[in-house]
Amino acid sequence: MVTTVETSAGPLPARTGSLLRETRGYKVFRAFNVVALLGVVAVTLYPFLMIIARSFSSDTAIRSGRVNIWPVGFNLTTYQLVMNDAMFWTNYKNTVVYTVVATAIALVLTTCYAYVISKHQLRGRSVLIGIAVFTMFFNGGLIPNYVLITSLGLKNSLWAIVLPNAISVFNLLVMKAFFENLPLELEEAAQIDGLGTYRILWKIVIPLSKAVIATMLLFYAVSFWNSWFAAFLYMDKSELFPVTVYLRNLIAGSSTAQSTGAAAADVAQVSANIQSVTMVLTVLPILCVYPFVQRYFVSGVMLGSVKG
Amino acid sequence: MSQRTRARGLAAAAALALALTACSGGSDGDEDGAALDNRTGAMEDYAAGDQFTATEPLTFSMLFSDHPNYPSQDDWLLWSEITERTNVTLDPTLVPMSDYEQKRSLLIGAGDAPSIIAKTYPGQEDAFVSSGAILAVSDYVDLMPNYQKKVADWGLEANIDQLRQADGKYYVLPGLHEAPWQDYTIAMRTDVLDELGLATPTSWDEFRTTLEAIKEARPGEYPFSDRFSETYPGGNLLNMAALGFGTSAGWGYNNATWDGDAEEFVATAAMPEYKEMVEYFHDLVADGLMDPESFTQDDDSAIQKFVTGKSVAIGTNAQTVVNEYEPGLATNDPDATVAKIPFPCGPVGCVLNPVTQTENGIMINADAADSPNFVAMMQFIDWLYYSDEGQEFTKWGVEGTTFDKAADGTRTLAADVDYVGLNPGAPKHLQKDFGFAGGNFAYGGATELLWSTFSDAEVAFQESIADYDMIDLAPPAPLDEAESEQLTLIDTTLRDAVSQGTIQFILGQRDLSEWDAFVADLESKGATQYVDVVNGARDRYVADNG
Repeated sequence: MVTTVETSAGPLPARTGSLLRETRGYKVFRAFNVVALLGVVAVTLYPFLMIIARSFSSDTAIRSGRVNIWPVGFNLTTYQLVMNDAMFWTNYKNTVVYTVVATAIALVLTTCYAYVISKHQLRGRSVLIGIAVFTMFFNGGLIPNYVLITSLGLKNSLWAIVLPNAISVFNLLVMKAFFENLPLELEEAAQIDGLGTYRILWKIVIPLSKAVIATMLLFYAVSFWNSWFAAFLYMDKSELFPVTVYLRNLIAGSSTAQSTGAAAADVAQVSANIQSVTMVLTVLPILCVYPFVQRYFVSGVMLGSVKG
Repeated sequence: MSQRTRARGLAAAAALALALTACSGGSDGDEDGAALDNRTGAMEDYAAGDQFTATEPLTFSMLFSDHPNYPSQDDWLLWSEITERTNVTLDPTLVPMSDYEQKRSLLIGAGDAPSIIAKTYPGQEDAFVSSGAILAVSDYVDLMPNYQKKVADWGLEANIDQLRQADGKYYVLPGLHEAPWQDYTIAMRTDVLDELGLATPTSWDEFRTTLEAIKEARPGEYPFSDRFSETYPGGNLLNMAALGFGTSAGWGYNNATWDGDAEEFVATAAMPEYKEMVEYFHDLVADGLMDPESFTQDDDSAIQKFVTGKSVAIGTNAQTVVNEYEPGLATNDPDATVAKIPFPCGPVGCVLNPVTQTENGIMINADAADSPNFVAMMQFIDWLYYSDEGQEFTKWGVEGTTFDKAADGTRTLAADVDYVGLNPGAPKHLQKDFGFAGGNFAYGGATELLWSTFSDAEVAFQESIADYDMIDLAPPAPLDEAESEQLTLIDTTLRDAVSQGTIQFILGQRDLSEWDAFVADLESKGATQYVDVVNGARDRYVADNG
């Protein structure tokens, strides 16, 4: 949901006063770029601003379609309602814990796996790659997975969320490509100086891989932050849910009345802006992480693409 | 209906997995209930009207749909009072309501479902039947005296028959209503009616003349702009109208409709009644009485038109009047008043659908039949869900704590307890703080109990339709697996073609002179084949089960 804006850093900075004189064509190109990219920014930002505005607006203003990018009938009731619920904070804490633990484990495992399969001289490398890639196309399906996790006794524990999704094959392949790009000579030199495999990884490769690690961190963190399905499958107690499940349920509650129209007992009274409030509350924290990893991110995503 | 379709995909997947995995287990539930030796904790002479109390402490697991507006709390009076009265502790597996059906399919498919599976709409059990994972409850209803009494007293045998599968058994214990419950109808601006000196319409014909009069007084606007088209164009409107016109459409559309006179199923869209209904709405749109966007706009747009006074009629249920129209109108036009009109009568008369007498109920895990306390569990379910005391308890709570009962039977909430706005501002809430009146336990019941929490306006609406006739229920025609697969292939195509054609004819995008071509096209899409299969299943069922 917040992916493309960064590309607005796209055009190369013009070096005024240097060797190149700006031609007319270049000026036009630049002006066009600015306009086009501003357009992209507007298109990307507009729905987001609208959601924020709606989250602060009154029901009636939303229902009568008067809310645009500025709140109408300023109101915090839904925020209060959500945030006054102790369960919301419990679940928010869960999300943070799940995300941190899962991301840490995922990073360690992905890095190790990718490093191994990036070594061309390794025997059986293609099998290891094959095993990973196989899972991109085939999986056991929902029920066998559930039976597996349950039989392993992971149900209702952190591990049910953290372990099954610890390695994303896509991320693994991106990292593999990055490691393959690292000059082999560096590692050979380290080897001659007497470093073993693990210390080479730790002392030489990892420090040189900050960009890709930051990118992976972001990919993993965002996906774990947004994920709700694993928790929904493997958790039976509301105090174990991440906040995404909580908010998803809340949205469903506000639309029950019309979809079933049945039991009066199910009447939902949550106001019209619950959906926007939800989005703001879940997106904001992870959005705050972006600026810090963005400089790695831009170079990071390019990495895998250069050399196949 | 919409819930059912949504769940169908996953349910089918689960059923497939079950067919593969569950061949080994499963009890054949043919034993005679009374002869079972699994009577641990059961009462010897349990009869209708008795308080069920297990003879020793028991615990039953239960799948519980957790509502976001009143999430389950361990300290709910509901839980402790159930134990107090019945010596049974319920152990709920909490599932967020948003995805309840998906998790239910998963748990049943994985063989991990709790014994009591609440909140199952009739029809949703179909996907699980062939796997043997769900108990054929019809074999054990002799353990449930209150249930049997309600079915007999309220004349629900035909409703129950509709639940029967090809083996003549049924697998879901439905919630039972004493009388049909019609919630949806049309809401109109009563102040506008008064201002123009118009009477409240009671039939589709009167509705049309009323709209004509309004249109005359306020040309330029569409007096009727409908909603509930988000999941199915005209889902609610056509569903309602189909009753009075003697067919089925909208949310309630079925490719085969039971024709009571001919004693067979007929292709719905080929019925003359169906065409008549389409013509009626075609004329409304053509004459500018009904907003053509009624079939495409989202609910918010329709609400907006209504609360800003652009339209004066809109589809509704009891909640939308109170939660959406009245507050919206109050800010835009403080003098505006809105009310439900009596459910409109049609050419076939003033009728309701008795199918609403059964609603969501419970399934039971087939493994439970092997449990030593199976009989006690059936007695417990019977008491909690089907006895008068149990139904009052799950809805109103505990007398003296959450409500008081006058000598004439009128219940009033305790002063410090609120529910559906009956005691606004009270510090506690019947659902949130006590757990009563929630969707997992409180369904169905006597009309008196159902109406006990209605507002005066809603009771007036219910009274206005109390003497309506009921249409014939379709008799059971359970399909076997091959037939069901065959019909699934035709069903969606046919359904979409009918829905699309219907809307095109109503909106005038297709001329009504093309109706015969439309019906012929449906024919080529398998309309007759569909009906033949259903009729065949019906004949087979009659031959097998009488």
